[in-house]
Amino acid sequence: MNLYWLQCGAGGGDSMSMLNMDSPELTELCHEIGMNILWHPSLSNHSATEHEQILEDLLSGKQVLDIFCVEGFVIAGPDGQGGYDLLGARSKLGIVQQLAARARVVIAVGTCAAFGGIGNIGAIDAGGLQFVGDEPGGVLGADYRSGSGLPVLNLPGCPTHYGVLADTLMGLADGQLPELDPQQSPRQWFDMLVHQGCLRNEYHEFRVEEREFGDRGCLFFYRGCRGPLTSGPCNKLLWNRRSSKTNVGVPCVGCTSPNFPQQHPFFQTPNIADVPLELPAGVDRAHYLAYKGMAAASAPERLKKRKNLV
Amino acid sequence: MTTTVRSIKLPFNRVEGDLDVRVEVKDGQVRDAWVSGTMFRGFENMMIGRGPLDGLVITPRICGICSTSHLHAAALALDQLTAVQVPANATRLRNVTQMAEHLQSDMRHLFLMFAVDFSHSCYQSRSFYPQAVQRYAPLKGATAIEVVRQTRRILEIVALIGGQWPHSSFMVPGGIVSVPSNADLRQCRHLVYQFRSWFEERVIGGSLENWAQLKTVTDLDGWCTDAAHRSAELPLLLQIGKELGLDSSGVGHGCYLSCGSLPMPAGEGEAEHLFAAGFMQKGKLRAWDPEQVVEDVSSSWFAGSTVKYPAISETLPQQNKPGAAYSWVKAPRYRSQPAETGPLAELLVAGQPLLTDWVATRGESTLARELARVVRCAELLPVMERWLRQAAGGGSYYLHPGEIESGSGIGFTQASRGALGHWLQIEAGKVAHYQIISPTSWNASPRDEAGVHGPLEAALIGTSIADEDHPIELGHIVRSFDPCLVCAVHTYRNGEPRSRLKIGLLG
Repeated sequence: MNLYWLQCGAGGGDSMSMLNMDSPELTELCHEIGMNILWHPSLSNHSATEHEQILEDLLSGKQVLDIFCVEGFVIAGPDGQGGYDLLGARSKLGIVQQLAARARVVIAVGTCAAFGGIGNIGAIDAGGLQFVGDEPGGVLGADYRSGSGLPVLNLPGCPTHYGVLADTLMGLADGQLPELDPQQSPRQWFDMLVHQGCLRNEYHEFRVEEREFGDRGCLFFYRGCRGPLTSGPCNKLLWNRRSSKTNVGVPCVGCTSPNFPQQHPFFQTPNIADVPLELPAGVDRAHYLAYKGMAAASAPERLKKRKNLV
Repeated sequence: MTTTVRSIKLPFNRVEGDLDVRVEVKDGQVRDAWVSGTMFRGFENMMIGRGPLDGLVITPRICGICSTSHLHAAALALDQLTAVQVPANATRLRNVTQMAEHLQSDMRHLFLMFAVDFSHSCYQSRSFYPQAVQRYAPLKGATAIEVVRQTRRILEIVALIGGQWPHSSFMVPGGIVSVPSNADLRQCRHLVYQFRSWFEERVIGGSLENWAQLKTVTDLDGWCTDAAHRSAELPLLLQIGKELGLDSSGVGHGCYLSCGSLPMPAGEGEAEHLFAAGFMQKGKLRAWDPEQVVEDVSSSWFAGSTVKYPAISETLPQQNKPGAAYSWVKAPRYRSQPAETGPLAELLVAGQPLLTDWVATRGESTLARELARVVRCAELLPVMERWLRQAAGGGSYYLHPGEIESGSGIGFTQASRGALGHWLQIEAGKVAHYQIISPTSWNASPRDEAGVHGPLEAALIGTSIADEDHPIELGHIVRSFDPCLVCAVHTYRNGEPRSRLKIGLLG
């Protein structure tokens, strides 16, 4: 199985996350599943001429392309020609479109490649591969299917979790195509909330909510935490084998969401009557108010007084 | 060899972002150079009108390699704006996470992005080639595999204290959000111990205590020829570097800038930083004065006055600017001078003896920049151990800074690649101005109003090239600056003029 990696409008965070793979490590993964990285811009040592040849062979079909990874938003401007972001004489937009037509599987690595992410804020006509925000379309169009019959596999996150990337590649090497959710992300990893597994869950249950940083309570009601509203495995897989933002007290910023980054200020929760305006999917507001009122009333002192060490 | 002047194409992967380098070559020698950033992503303009803490979320995402440094600069700007006194232990832990990021960046750069070139087939006739392939081949070399593993582990420190790496937002005005337990800090110390053991055995070949005794190049030469250290990486890298002439290539202006690395915790001595700030010109050190920083846009695709002060300057892209503009990178200047920044500059300004002696006796060079990355790791590790011990035992990691309504602040830090500044202004609870000058803006800057080249351009001029179709000599020089164009060019919605040949590769 071979892989070609293209960076478009990106800061390289997903590539850096990839280097953090731990089980298996990236170097082990390549060996274990027989994955040959034809080109990765941060890791390969081919000369420009050699890279040109690799690209040429992929574009002409002389070399089969199993996995095509795209990192970063794709710039279509100006005039839909992609001239704002070039690789040699080619636009990256053109390369994305042509390699997608050849690839057995296309993976959008990170929120920018999946949904446009940071690229959506401005006006360079940038977007994700099959979405712009939560609107289907993107630079490949909603109807695109790769050689395997799958649409683009979206692995959102800023950065994407290396464990999700590793597992996706391991599954593909086995010939298993993942089951996808409506946003084309593997259900295996995105059919859960960031909230699930957070160490602050007991505070959340009893509505022990922080208005300030630096304490142990829940950050959902006042500090803008989007953990209960955001899909992702942060608190199942943890980060760098150790922890997660919400565990240490950083409110979730919703970085896997199609609409990341939000326009509303981070670390502030829009409220109505002291209850978040935005509630978890499918939750009835009246019932939620009643539940939270009772939860707060039954909160134990050990939580209210932050007597626990965690 | 040609006798005609020829512009040649330079490939640049293994830099972050889109880097174009054009050189004019005559008789196999570089006569002139133009370094351009070719994509403008526009982070600063994105910040306008946003919430007061949004810089803590948005700016780390400028760059995946130094996101903790951007976070630190953003937090320091907010600290200054709110005039909050950051608790000493919060400063220690902010620093420790940034130091872990430096260790990661220095080692990944040195081996995965710089030494990996020695395993390219263009060197197959060299005696070092088989060993270079065995050690540095991409993802396969024995050392490359070790570096991936060790850098991954040391970053666990950032996750223990800040939740994740890259792209956390755990530093906030007034300290850090987390309350690490003693168990967490013991784990951090274990990770430092583990990294240190590897670094001592594999990178330098001996203990940090003995290494700290090296004050001169003669000491270093003795260290490298000592049978006990010879199988480690540093002796081999220095040997290859000398064989390829990297100890004399890449000579720039000789102007070095550091805005001060790692703020000292409150109450810990008189010094402001672990590595002092300063500007060094031809060996002469001057005090650091932030007021002396300007951004020159004579050769950049921006409108407005030619020279701007970052606290008030605007970022107005102008794609079809008349004249000789050729880059989306602005040209920061200090006392009207271009300045190189990075680990070498940081340690020279701080007076680190070994590097000071190296530059005094052998001059600045491509190889000196790489040596500085090893020296910096050796300097940082014992301090990380100390700060982690001191930070244990609870205490305060956060002081509430009060509501943020308006004001301005500047955050300076030394990112892995050099001087980083965030200039912030908030009005009516919203960001009114955000300006960033990143290390690569200094290093990869274009010509200024006076026509003076940027540091990287200057370092390329005069280089002899063996094969114009694969000018790997220039590759070594460019990579010794570890350019990060995603940091340098931030953003906007305009591209390069389409008439320009884009000669660099990749981002």
